[in-house]
Amino acid sequence: MASVMSQGRTSASRHHLRRTGGQFLVYAALITWTCVCLFPLFWTVTTSLKSARDVTQGHLIPWIDFQPTWKGWRSLGLSPDTIFNLSDPREEFLGRFANSVIIAGGASCLALLLGSLAAYGLSRFRYKFGPMHNSDILFFFISQLILPPVVLALPFLVLYRELDLLDTRFGLVLVYTLTVLPIVVWIMRDQFNAIPIELDEAALVDGLSAWGVFLRIVLPIALPGMVAAFILSLVLTWNEYFFAALLTASSAKTLPVMVASQTGSQGIDWWSMAALSTAAIAPLVIMGILLERYIVKGLATGAGK
Amino acid sequence: MKVGDYNNIIAGQQTSRRRLLQGAAGLGAAAVGGGFGAFSSARAAGTPSADEMALRKAILKVPGVGKGSPTDADWQKVGELCLGPTKARVKPGEFKGVQLTFMGLNNQNLHDFLFRGFLKPWETYTGAKISWIDVAQADYSPRLQQAIATGTIDFDLLEMGAPFEGEVCGKGLTSEMPEEVKQQIDVTDLVNYLKPPVGTWEGKTYRVTIDGDCHTINYRTDVFSDPDLTKAWKSAGNSAPWGNPRTWQQVQKVTKFLAGKQVAGKDVYGYLDAPKPWGGFGFYFLASRATAYVKYPGEKAWLFDVDTMKPRVNSAGWVRAIQDVVDALPSEPPNQINADPNTTGFQQFLAGTGSLVSWWGDIGQNANTSDSSVVGDVIGFDILPGSDDVFNHTTGKWETLSSGPNFAPNMAYLGWGVYVMSRVNGDSAKHKAAWSAAAHLGGKDLSIWTVMYPSGFQVHRQSHFNIQEWLDAGYDKAYITNYLASQSNSYNHPNVAIEPRIPGIFQYYSLAEDELAKIFAGKVGAQKGADNIAAAWEKLTDQLGREKQIALYKASLGI
Amino acid sequence: MRGRAAASRRQAGRALILVASIALVGVILLQILRAAGEIQVGFANWRPVLYAYVVWAIALGAGQVLMHGERGRRALFVLPAVLFTVAVVIFPTLFGFYIASLDWNLSATSGPRFNNFHNFVELFNDPDYWNALTNMLFYVVAVLVEYAIAFGLALLLTAEIRARKFFRLAFLLPFMLSPVAVSWMIGKSIFEYRFGPASNFMRFLGWRTPAVFAHAWTARIGIEVMAGWVAIPFIMILLLAGLQALPKEVQEAAQVDGASAWQSFWRVTFPLMLPVSITALLIRIIFQLKLADIVINVTGGGPGGATDTVSSYIYRVYSDRSNVGYGTALAMFYLVMIIIFLTVMLRLANRWTRNLT
Repeated sequence: MASVMSQGRTSASRHHLRRTGGQFLVYAALITWTCVCLFPLFWTVTTSLKSARDVTQGHLIPWIDFQPTWKGWRSLGLSPDTIFNLSDPREEFLGRFANSVIIAGGASCLALLLGSLAAYGLSRFRYKFGPMHNSDILFFFISQLILPPVVLALPFLVLYRELDLLDTRFGLVLVYTLTVLPIVVWIMRDQFNAIPIELDEAALVDGLSAWGVFLRIVLPIALPGMVAAFILSLVLTWNEYFFAALLTASSAKTLPVMVASQTGSQGIDWWSMAALSTAAIAPLVIMGILLERYIVKGLATGAGK
Repeated sequence: MKVGDYNNIIAGQQTSRRRLLQGAAGLGAAAVGGGFGAFSSARAAGTPSADEMALRKAILKVPGVGKGSPTDADWQKVGELCLGPTKARVKPGEFKGVQLTFMGLNNQNLHDFLFRGFLKPWETYTGAKISWIDVAQADYSPRLQQAIATGTIDFDLLEMGAPFEGEVCGKGLTSEMPEEVKQQIDVTDLVNYLKPPVGTWEGKTYRVTIDGDCHTINYRTDVFSDPDLTKAWKSAGNSAPWGNPRTWQQVQKVTKFLAGKQVAGKDVYGYLDAPKPWGGFGFYFLASRATAYVKYPGEKAWLFDVDTMKPRVNSAGWVRAIQDVVDALPSEPPNQINADPNTTGFQQFLAGTGSLVSWWGDIGQNANTSDSSVVGDVIGFDILPGSDDVFNHTTGKWETLSSGPNFAPNMAYLGWGVYVMSRVNGDSAKHKAAWSAAAHLGGKDLSIWTVMYPSGFQVHRQSHFNIQEWLDAGYDKAYITNYLASQSNSYNHPNVAIEPRIPGIFQYYSLAEDELAKIFAGKVGAQKGADNIAAAWEKLTDQLGREKQIALYKASLGI
Repeated sequence: MRGRAAASRRQAGRALILVASIALVGVILLQILRAAGEIQVGFANWRPVLYAYVVWAIALGAGQVLMHGERGRRALFVLPAVLFTVAVVIFPTLFGFYIASLDWNLSATSGPRFNNFHNFVELFNDPDYWNALTNMLFYVVAVLVEYAIAFGLALLLTAEIRARKFFRLAFLLPFMLSPVAVSWMIGKSIFEYRFGPASNFMRFLGWRTPAVFAHAWTARIGIEVMAGWVAIPFIMILLLAGLQALPKEVQEAAQVDGASAWQSFWRVTFPLMLPVSITALLIRIIFQLKLADIVINVTGGGPGGATDTVSSYIYRVYSDRSNVGYGTALAMFYLVMIIIFLTVMLRLANRWTRNLT
């Protein structure tokens, strides 16, 4: 009896040991990867507070290694001592920032709308457009992503000149929608596939039309998933550089070109590039914090039901 | 407290500005009376008037050398102080309602932002409105080329380098400079090598020059006067005294000698090569090593044969320059293969690594006035090193000149300019406004400021070589004398290597960069790689149209 | 009665589509004639064609509903996306193929010339292009490593851990930094030879001259580390979602059977995750095949072409050298190759998935 008990206890403690050991490894892995993810961001944020000497000597920790200054932010007119003064770079930054918000937001919304509809259709119904079946249509979408954008320079310049869309926000929204639409379609199709079709069938029996089922039954379940697709689209369009540099001039210009302009024939202004990168990533981080819970919940919805 | 201090400073600046504006107004009045252009050019050779001197002195105090990088408040102030010539020619509000678009570089918030600052007071005075297209350096050339090809030119004013003149002015896309503007900006004051044919095309002048460009050698005075190194150099069996090298043969020797040496506990290296491609610009740095070998005195051509456009890049002279890089790389910092000119100049040299680098005048200009410099004023300047012997392309032999080493400064890029596009020609108000804006940016007084402070623009006028002005601004005498001498001696050298302003010149450079990268990585030998470059260049010439290229090449050399 | 109503609806639908199509073709013809200089009337630019297309698209949708009823309504789900995509890409694609057949250097005085598809012959003799293609093999295979890491992270995040929200957000952040910022702040700063913290760390580990981008293989890996750093969160999020969607009962059942965690992962979790994995991998591989910014900024394709990608090479040909005809041909050939490659991969993956599940 006693031996049995002690045996039980040992195995329990061994199990416990293994569990704490496993727990330790899990947390070690989590923390290591957190460092990998956050260190470059920490580096970027602190670099915006460094002077040249601190950059070229690789100083790491503010207040201990180096005395932080508002250097990077001053060059953008965004530091506490310059924020109320006139500043061309700040004007430029704010104008571009507003354009980025409108264009990335607009394109992501449009892509989400078109993409979700298409994804639902492809998930639920069989289509035949000429020789193309469902899988071909899916592939048609994704194939739009393949061509390196640089060779689209002349075609898009000519097209946009003729359509009078050069240097317009609408023009950029169109082309950005095109670039993220395939991603939305593919992600949302996985989402809809995960929602049991019995749900639709039950609603159809209740007398709803296909659109009724989609809008009233399926969409609410998949809404968080759409939020996730939205965030992915937003990040991709927010950071898009090539078309932004090509198709805009003075009224529809966006942020990434300004970030790239912090280097040129005069070396690089680390601090202002770091400050710009920080300022450019900030809205995405805030969106991430606000919407992150939906990403996971969202993409997970449907299945498990 | 801090804010209070700041306001006091601003207030102080404003009073002095007001005083200065009175000076400027006086100057304007003089101009109205006597014709400013004649007045100004008459002064160029002799001493400037007292008013002008006062004005220039005041400009150069904004913000003062050693006070960190200037800000946009400073640029606007300079722009306002230099409005005199505009006021003499344009009535207040005369361009009300005129909309202009300006395309230029945004280079670390310089160039276009500088122009914005300079032009803001001009806009206020004339009533015109300018919108800006800022292009990153890497996008500049494709943006321009593609706009031309697709007929989507959407700007009235353009900041452009001389090498692109063939593609833009040659296609009739720019507006010819009015005689009046030539007087306003005093074109006679330009240094000789920037005078026509540079800036002109088929006899017509197009460009408002705002920059001068040549490569010089920059060296660390502390390294080349270090007592320990002097001893080590001597004990290594060198008979020549320790000092900055004057020929490429010496550069090679010094670079190999310095590998593994230390000064003040830090690794010290010799020459810094830039083997990594840099959108075509990297080729200039090989050219700087090559000109002393291949630019034969009295012969203008050095990159192509004149009558056939046959490339010379695989000749013995060029191959020696390429081989020099290959030989020097093991003695340079371990990551040198991944260094482009941006790295060598700013991440390495100005940050304290390496003791010799060929670069444009930016290095000397930034060392004391930019926030990105760490080394300060331990920098000396000279024209590019020469060579003990020079390759004579006609005879195919190396020759030692009786006059000593052969020097051939490389006038790389020929500087930036402002151009007015021909699309304003139909609208006389727009035409006048655009030229007035361009002339304001190219103004003589304004230019002394841009060449002294970080702007990306270097000395390009004879009037920039007045050392007293630099001293007044706060420069150290020995330093600035040395700097200006290196620039002036390069510009005025009898054996300068002038870059061909032919269409597609950067395509030639870019092709060369790709092949050079393979040579430097050890994938092909110098001669074989150079032959590859030559073959690629021949193919490109055929694609662009050989006859036309030959004709334009001759024109650009002034033959 | 009902039959006749249906027939008349069908006719109305057909008529609607016909009228809209005629109007669209009419507007296009008008503009073509105007562009050719045959007539003076017409519009100043092609924007009205865009409007006509939108009207036509709406008519087409309405016509479908009229003609096919419920089936037509179902078509309305997919039609907008398809019509949108076609509208935006049709001209650039056709024009692209046209450019690919030209000898066109923007600096050439003669302008574009048709050259009998010589571009496609030339690319077979272009060592730089094939070098870049070979490098792409490495970059694509590296995606599998990214996938493995992302899968591991997703598993970690589904384990029972504290501060899950914090970790989830932290792991997502790298995806948000723009490629330009990644190139400079990481590639040229953290990996900087002299002062970069990563270089110092490698010195600490015993590599005395950590010049990452000076040697072919370390440079390739360095570039991939940066590309992966940005992309892993993207894969991870998709996998995480898939994992959370797995029915709990299946996993529990596997554990009751006494299978080890490893066995239950390979037997249960992994096969169930295949569809999501394929989507994630497909999108990621396509992005990887276009890898350019980081390479252009950090190594310029060097040392000696070791890190060059097809996209960065095409960028040099097309943008730096304005050789647009040849550059487009390179891209079109690449496009066709990728489409074949992906089709084969998808077929294989589908067959494999069917066998496993």
